Order: sequence, then structure tokens, then C-alpha cells
Amino acid sequence: MTQSLEFTEEYRDCLQEVTNVAMGQAGDLLAKVLDTFVVLSIPHIEVMKPQDVSMALQAVDSSSSVSAVCQGFIGGGIAGEAMLLFNDTSFQDLAKLLNYDDELDRQAECELLMDTTNILFGACLNGIAEQIDMQFSFGSPMVLGQHQQLADIFNTKSLNWDHALVTEINYQLEGYDVNCDLLIIMTGDSIKRLLAKLNYLVN
Amino acid sequence: MTKDFLNDFHWLMDVLNNIDVGLVILDKDYNIQLWNSFMQNHSARTPSDILGRNIFESFPELPPAWFKRKVESVLVLRNSAFTTWEQRPYLFRFKNYRPITGVAEFMYQNCTIIPLKDTQGKVEHICLIVYDVTEIAVNRLQLQTANEKLHQLSRTDGLTGLLNRKTWEIELDKEFKRYHRHQQPCSMLMFDIDHFKSINDNYGHPAGDEVIRHTAAAVRESIRETDIAGRYGGEEFAVILVNSGGQDAKLVAERLRQKIEQSTVCYEDMSINYTISIGICELGPNLKGPVAWIDAADKGLYEAKHNGRNNSVLVPKT
Repeated sequence: MTQSLEFTEEYRDCLQEVTNVAMGQAGDLLAKVLDTFVVLSIPHIEVMKPQDVSMALQAVDSSSSVSAVCQGFIGGGIAGEAMLLFNDTSFQDLAKLLNYDDELDRQAECELLMDTTNILFGACLNGIAEQIDMQFSFGSPMVLGQHQQLADIFNTKSLNWDHALVTEINYQLEGYDVNCDLLIIMTGDSIKRLLAKLNYLVN
Repeated sequence: MTKDFLNDFHWLMDVLNNIDVGLVILDKDYNIQLWNSFMQNHSARTPSDILGRNIFESFPELPPAWFKRKVESVLVLRNSAFTTWEQRPYLFRFKNYRPITGVAEFMYQNCTIIPLKDTQGKVEHICLIVYDVTEIAVNRLQLQTANEKLHQLSRTDGLTGLLNRKTWEIELDKEFKRYHRHQQPCSMLMFDIDHFKSINDNYGHPAGDEVIRHTAAAVRESIRETDIAGRYGGEEFAVILVNSGGQDAKLVAERLRQKIEQSTVCYEDMSINYTISIGICELGPNLKGPVAWIDAADKGLYEAKHNGRNNSVLVPKT
């Protein structure tokens, strides 16, 4: 619990601000790449236990099927994984969005999910990295599951950490039936380093 | 100071050139600016062949629209992009170069595309990093094939290739539920080989096995793709005929019965003639569950045996 106590309101506000700014930049860049307006929710930031994450996810969606993609990042002692959840997303629309003309089989859907994740998440995390003067390296995105129940994709029982810093952002793309949630989960070890970085900004 | 710097630079270049991953630098017009030794060795093209040339002209296997879409996002977002062998097995078609240990036809590749900033911080070039993941890909593909085979094996009966009893019963359950949702007619054949024990006694068990195999083959030839045939017990078979009423099922049963009656199984020097008896039951609203349905078809089978064997009996629908 100590870690969550260390993460005071002040720091949360600061990280919130950093993330807001990053999201604003990301929205601009995404509009350029995707040629559409991206509606981003205000990021929700909290230190959570694995069970809390699954609760938060359950609020996102409980019954209908989702597709999920993960992408890891690491740099300067801060590491974590992002998970993008596509709620009832239309793959035709994703294909249109990325100018994908080939036939839409399962492989193609996989590629669309990975590319969209890479673009949405990359834009966001790079924005954050720039403000706290860091550089992250990214792993290749990995599709966790397609058209499945959330509980089958994200099993919190197998997670072996106590606390993590979770940032949740909702994306909607204007004119497209694409709606997804981005969860950035930073490991407990990273929180300290992140606090040190934020210290510069707070003081 | 300058000497140290030159030394470092020299080392770095040596490492980049000899590292066991492919490194390619492209400018905005997709002309090749760097081609390290991994790329040289696998493509058999030297820097003098390739530097300054357009990548799509040099490597027609690389689809321009697909690749440009990836690079575009790298240039604008200044963010890496990834391709994996699962989506596209390779960007550059490099033939398998290991005559002894190589089992794949070509090199499977994962690629990362990263933006390169110039001294002013502008991104005008990208770097393509090519990883040889043939071993991982081959292992994964072999595992997939093995899993599919195992799945198939766990569902079928070894001797006949028909569904085994457990799997057939799962399918039976599904069909029963489907009937109650959609009310489409559905019938079951339950049949066994007449006097199978004496076939085994007279000709030997291997011959008996051959008869069972022959029966399974006759069943397969007599039913449609969508019908569900299983080996229910030793010499007992069960077939679900979907979208078929009792009369249709009776036709199928009679065709099968006659086919078997008229054929001869040859095993070693022996010629074996045999017959089957069949019980038929169309599913009706009064059958309370899959087991009741089997029981009803079994009753037909019993009656067919009682009537002197080598015939089929359709029990009235209830």
C-alpha cells in the first residue's frame, strides 16, 4: 500500500496534466495520419491492484465480445505494458481508416489491430516521454484475443504484481464505428522513477 | 580525443556491419542508403549494386502500398512500426541457406521500422531492422500442426476415422438443442453388424477389424458432409442425419444396408459377406433428451434384430 500512498494528489495532478498535454499532441498527430478527428477522453489515472484493473475493465464492458492487443515499453527504469481494448469495433471501418484494401481475413484483422494499437499508443506515450524528457523503446504489439469475452482475454489471477500505475483513455474516431480503450499499466518499480521525473515539473 | 572518437566510431560501424540482424536505411523516396553485411550476405547483392536504388524496384516481393502505409506513420508520428512473420512471412525473400538443418523454404522475418532524426531533428530517413525468426516460426507452425492433429485424433476413432463415442455424444447434444431452437427435422440411425462375434471367431480378429473399417467406409459413402457419424461401441455405429425426416432416413438406411449386403470384404485369402441391422428414429417433441432419442433408435434396432436381421426399422415419431 505504501506505493499508492506515496502517489499524492499533487503528483497525480501533475501526471494528469502531462498526460493531457500528450493526448492533445497525440490527437493532432493522429488526425494527420488517420485523416480524421480523434475524440479522446480525459485520462483517468490511478494506482491499482490487479483486481481493481479487472473491475475497471468490467466497467468498460462485461458481456459483448472484444479484441485486445498488448504492447510493452521500457526505458530509463520505467516500464510497462499498454493494452488496447476494441469494443465492438467494426473491422471494415478500421480497414478504411488505415487504407487497407486487401481482403479482411483473420490475419488481416490481426494486422489492423496491431497497427492501430501501435499508432494510437505510440502517439500517446511518445507525447508523455517527451515532456518528462525520456525515450522509450517499444516491443512489437501482440494480439491477445479476437472477438472474445474480456474475462477470457484478461485473467487477473495470473498477474504477479501488487500495485501498478494505470492510465485509462478512451478513443473515438469521428465518422467511424471505432471505439477503444487504452490502458497504460506501469509497473510498481516504475512509479518511483516516474515520481522523480515529475518532481522536476512539480517544483 | 579525435583518435578516441574515431576508434569508437570505427567499432560502432564494425558492430553494425557484422551484427546478425539486417539493417537498411531508406530515404523518403524509398531509395536505399545503407545495406549492412547481413543484408548483403542474404540477398547476394553488394552495396555497389544496391545503394541509391529504389527498394521496390530492387525487391518486387515487397508490396509498395502496404509498406508505404507503415513508413508513413513512422515519418509522421516519429514512432516505430512493426511487422511480424505471422502477418507477412517476409519482406525480402531470402531463400533457406541451410541444406542440413533448414526446414523452411525461406527466411521468416520480423521487422521494425524506426524513424531516424537528422542533425536538425527532422525525420527524413527511416531504418529497417530485419530479424531472422525462421526457427521460432517453424517451431510455432509445427506446434500448430501437431495441435491440430492431436485435436483431430482426440475426436476420432482410430480404427474407422469416424467420430469417437465421446465426441459423437457432444455433437448429439448440440443437434438435440438445435432441434428445439429451430424445429428442423432430424433423424438418427443406430445400427450394428449382424453376428459380428462369429465373424471374429471364424475369420480372426484382424478380419473383424477389416469388416468394421469396411462398414465405416460404406457409411461415409452413404451420408452427406453435414451428417454426423460415429463409432458408438465395438461393432455399433450411430449416425445423425440433419435436416432429414424419418422417411428420408429410412431411404438412407436401406441404401446403406443393401450396399453392405451386396459387397464382399476381402481379407488375405478370405472373402467375407456380412449384413447389418438398423434402427431409425426421427426426433420428436416428446423425446425428453438425447438419451431418450438413443433409446428410441435402439428399440428400432432391437426390433430389426428380432425380425431376422439384415433389415431396418423406423420407429414411429413421438
